[in-house]
Amino acid sequence: MATTATISISSPDLLPGGSLSINASATLTKAGVTADLDQKESGVIKLATGTEFRLGPLATEMSGDVHDIGSYIYICNNTTEDATRYIDWGINETMIGRLYAGDWMFIPWNASDDAAEIEIEAQGGTNIIEYCFFNSDFILPTAAS
Amino acid sequence: MATTTATVTINSDISSYPITIGKQMTLTKSANRSAGLEETTGLRSKKFTATTAAVIVEADELTDDTAHKVYIRNASASRANFFYVAYNASAAAAATAETIGKLYGGDWMLFPYNGSTNITVASSTTDTQFLEYMVLADGIEAAKG
Repeated sequence: MATTATISISSPDLLPGGSLSINASATLTKAGVTADLDQKESGVIKLATGTEFRLGPLATEMSGDVHDIGSYIYICNNTTEDATRYIDWGINETMIGRLYAGDWMFIPWNASDDAAEIEIEAQGGTNIIEYCFFNSDFILPTAAS
Repeated sequence: MATTTATVTINSDISSYPITIGKQMTLTKSANRSAGLEETTGLRSKKFTATTAAVIVEADELTDDTAHKVYIRNASASRANFFYVAYNASAAAAATAETIGKLYGGDWMLFPYNGSTNITVASSTTDTQFLEYMVLADGIEAAKG
């Protein structure tokens, strides 16, 4: 079971006197080894403004007390109504950037503890995002009864 | 006005049905979503032989709260070694509050960045590792540095 992530960044005119072309591919594996990741969680969510939400599981919902896992997340803002809308994204109650309508991001996720949750908040109106986590250690919540 | 695109492709056979994610975005300014980013720090390559945390993106060189994108790649091959990548003034470690994730050998990441706090990295090993990084900038403060 292999999962690969490839990026291409290109521009004919960003660099004076030359074009920009970056191509890289990674095979996503479990932490520190070459074994493939084997679990994923994905979804599409409509986000209203005014509330900061947690995206995805808490650290303790992935690997108990051991958080030394390989974990990656892809997020895309699929909002089409208004290009100026964005979601603030961050970790540990600290906003890191703005994911504008039409933009995507891909990061490894540390998930060292529950406070290191991924947080998102819609700005400018309702935003629609899609996301996919790849890792090896999701733990389902215990049933209420 | 420059035109810069970033394309991600993720393929996975974790599920019984293949997953293919493909998305292209054009990198544009926060103030004008039709205007392409015109500035960059340039692509840098840095060799690390110590575990001391180091700042790779200085926030005071960039305009706050705009549509910067940060690209980082661990250009080494070992899946046993990694870089912590953090949104922090000076630290990057498992317990650092805003550590985003661990970038193992061959891994890359691209994320939107608000330019308000440094991006800091720390190698997990004294073995030689190479890091490539670049800011596709929505405003560089030329007088600072």
